[in-house]
Amino acid sequence: MSPTNGIRRRAVGALVGATALGLTLTACTGSGSGGGDASTLVVYTGQAGDYQINFNPFSPSRIGGLGTIYETLFFHNKAQVSDPVPLLGTEQAWNEDGTVLSVTLRDGVKWSDGEDFTAEDVVFTFDMLKETPSINAGGFDGTVEAVDDTHVTFSFEEPTFVKGPDLMNTPIVPEHLWADINPVEDVIEEPIGTGAFTLKEFKPQAYTIEANADYWGDEPKVKEVRFISLSGNQAGADAIAAGTIDWQTGPIPDIQNTNKNFPNYEAFTQWQNQMVLATCSNADLGCTGPQTDPAVRHALYYALDREQLNNLAFMETANEISPAFTLTPSQDQYLTPVVTELSAPERSLADNAKESLESAGWALGDDGIYAKDGERLSLTVEVVTGWTDYITAIDTMASQAKEAGIELVAAQSSWNEWTEKKVSGNFQLAMDSLWQGPAPDPYYLYNYFYSSASGAEVGESAGNNYSRYDNPDVDAAIDELSTLPLDDLAARQEYFEKIQGAIIEDMPYVPVLTGGTTSIWNTAEFSGWPSGEDLYAFPAVWSAFDAAEIFKRLEPQG
Amino acid sequence: MNYFVRKLSFYAVALWAALTLNFAIPRMLPGNPVDILLAKLQQRGGTVTPETREAYALLLGGDSSDPLWVQYWDYLKNLARGDLGVSVSYYPTKVSDVILTSLPWTVVLVGIATIIAAVLGVALGAFVGWKPGTWLDTLVPSTTLLAAVPYFWLALILTYLLARVLGWFPMQGGYDVVLTPGWNWEFISSAITYGFLPALTIVLASIAGWLLGMRNMMVSTLSEDYILTAEAKGLTPMKILRSYASRNAVLPSVAGFAISLGFVVSGSVITEQVFSYPGIGGRLLGAVTNNDYALMQGVFLFITLAVLGANLVVDLLYGLIDPRTRARS
Repeated sequence: MSPTNGIRRRAVGALVGATALGLTLTACTGSGSGGGDASTLVVYTGQAGDYQINFNPFSPSRIGGLGTIYETLFFHNKAQVSDPVPLLGTEQAWNEDGTVLSVTLRDGVKWSDGEDFTAEDVVFTFDMLKETPSINAGGFDGTVEAVDDTHVTFSFEEPTFVKGPDLMNTPIVPEHLWADINPVEDVIEEPIGTGAFTLKEFKPQAYTIEANADYWGDEPKVKEVRFISLSGNQAGADAIAAGTIDWQTGPIPDIQNTNKNFPNYEAFTQWQNQMVLATCSNADLGCTGPQTDPAVRHALYYALDREQLNNLAFMETANEISPAFTLTPSQDQYLTPVVTELSAPERSLADNAKESLESAGWALGDDGIYAKDGERLSLTVEVVTGWTDYITAIDTMASQAKEAGIELVAAQSSWNEWTEKKVSGNFQLAMDSLWQGPAPDPYYLYNYFYSSASGAEVGESAGNNYSRYDNPDVDAAIDELSTLPLDDLAARQEYFEKIQGAIIEDMPYVPVLTGGTTSIWNTAEFSGWPSGEDLYAFPAVWSAFDAAEIFKRLEPQG
Repeated sequence: MNYFVRKLSFYAVALWAALTLNFAIPRMLPGNPVDILLAKLQQRGGTVTPETREAYALLLGGDSSDPLWVQYWDYLKNLARGDLGVSVSYYPTKVSDVILTSLPWTVVLVGIATIIAAVLGVALGAFVGWKPGTWLDTLVPSTTLLAAVPYFWLALILTYLLARVLGWFPMQGGYDVVLTPGWNWEFISSAITYGFLPALTIVLASIAGWLLGMRNMMVSTLSEDYILTAEAKGLTPMKILRSYASRNAVLPSVAGFAISLGFVVSGSVITEQVFSYPGIGGRLLGAVTNNDYALMQGVFLFITLAVLGANLVVDLLYGLIDPRTRARS
């Protein structure tokens, strides 16, 4: 989740300033949820600057409404491996070969303008996406048909099990209103959905949604949710201190003692953000530099002292990482026996690093840095200016790597420039993080980041696989996985084994740590937040579908 | 008449140069809007698949394959029609709409703050200059100190003291979000309360410039012969201060004031950032980080026009007020 990370990192930078000012502890701790009455939940999603009205769920610049106003067929909880939660759909089943998906729809659901929700709305939504490539973000290319009012089938020409979660995560819109509008350019100022909330009012500084009294499920206990805009996470941290917001996802100073500093609030961290040193790994596609040698990437992997790194750079909010990139521990069941180290080493194993280098023909030079054929083992790490925790991390890693005879040099650039370097392949190492797919399943990460389909030659624009990893075995295994049901772990095992074996051996993304996503929320006025025991949604306010599930479960106190 | 024609044609050329730069500069920035949009999307919990990338490249038109001069010509043609294009980061909203929603906030906040700073600074400067060498002179170093402190630091300290510790003013925003913007007292008073602190920081940071300029002009004006004459005539000191010394000394400040009004439109990026204030500066910052060319061009255009316009007015006014300007040119 690189961009979320982006906010987080920028915020850490800003927090340094705040701490220096002494803004942290001395100030008042706030007494109420500044939004007014206690049943209004005030949240800050990281919106920087004013809102521009846009409740079109398919528009990339929408400001909200997903999950809260527009519902999907099912909800997938990315925080842990679990069954999809039925929303507008109640049951789903694939046929044997994965070409036809039948979904049973909930009966008696009404749109918030009083019209009935039927299978025709689902058919209309998917047909519209298919006919409008510029909003078809999930790449839907099947055929959808209504069997009767409460049953629809999706048919595909090829086995498409893995597309299931994308389909189920598509917001459904009402045919009677959407039939005559331009789905690309209409900003839908008055959104009508089936969700537990409806839009109450919109203002550039904030918009408010209110509980839908006619909701098919239980009417939410939280009567209103207000989304406010602030200038950034620094402002968010200030607002927590002043007690004017109830939930934000991002760091505040002295995060370990949140509850002590602000008795109304608690901090909760979840780990989903797999931080890596991404390498331009493929010399065949034009990458240059020592990192194109897998031995160098392994040496880096062993040289890192992750405990020290977590301590110095991440305020102890990061967690261990699996070299196979299954989330630890929530996706441990996907680890296969080929993975011998269940998580990357906590302490530096400089000897392993040196062994790896020496067996590949690198020799220690006089300056304590390895060299091969006259080329010093010196690597440039690209990082974005202002992402202070990543910059600290690189400094820390540089001193750790030096003990293993590797030189790391940080190069800071603006976010735009950094993105450009990654996409065009004009880099050696980049500090970044990998993200998850629509369902808690490592297939998606493998497909996004290791499939040669989203790579490209250096100089051309690559997709997600900007490391330009290209391994026909992995490609084949990813293809095979896409024809297997997500829950058929036995059949999938073989292919996971192939992929995990290959990506650990080649290691185009060197695992660093799993970064934490920390939410600060008001536990004095609201209960029902996700917890370690009941992790019913990924706790991040910017993750719209998860946030909607949380809004539905919260209860105002007193 | 000749003077005015030459001035106007000079401004026409300056305008063309500014418009051309405005076209060129955003296109030299690295990165492309689709990548940034995808990153933003992901930030809100979306999953970015290869299909998503394709869809949005299609939506935003991707990289234009037209040659630059065709793009340039279209840009000028659209400008002439008042069409600033569509903002990528707020797609599908028109750039003019984005700017028009933010502009009033900036113009009112920064405009009023600039007027207050100028009036206060000039008035204080006149008094300080009237009695040079007295204790009043300490106003000069104390206000310049405030101007020398980095602005964001001053703003943060004031926020800390007045908003956090004393709780007199709200810390962030342009108005209480429960209210509906409109011409009612409740909303306007809320906007005033929210705007007070940002305005105060702008006034404190900029008052020194006015004060110092006015004071120095006063001191040199006081040594003019006509002041001596006025004193010899037996006029009261207040009369001399108001009608003789100040009126002559204020001329450069008036010109400076007109120009600084031109800069009001560009707002204050830092002010708006520190106070989460809904203005044009925040939009400009957003446009730059999102590679939103159209919005950047739109904002730059407004700033350019405002600055050029203010300068033009000053030039023309000078031509009227001061005959020497016309004679020399």
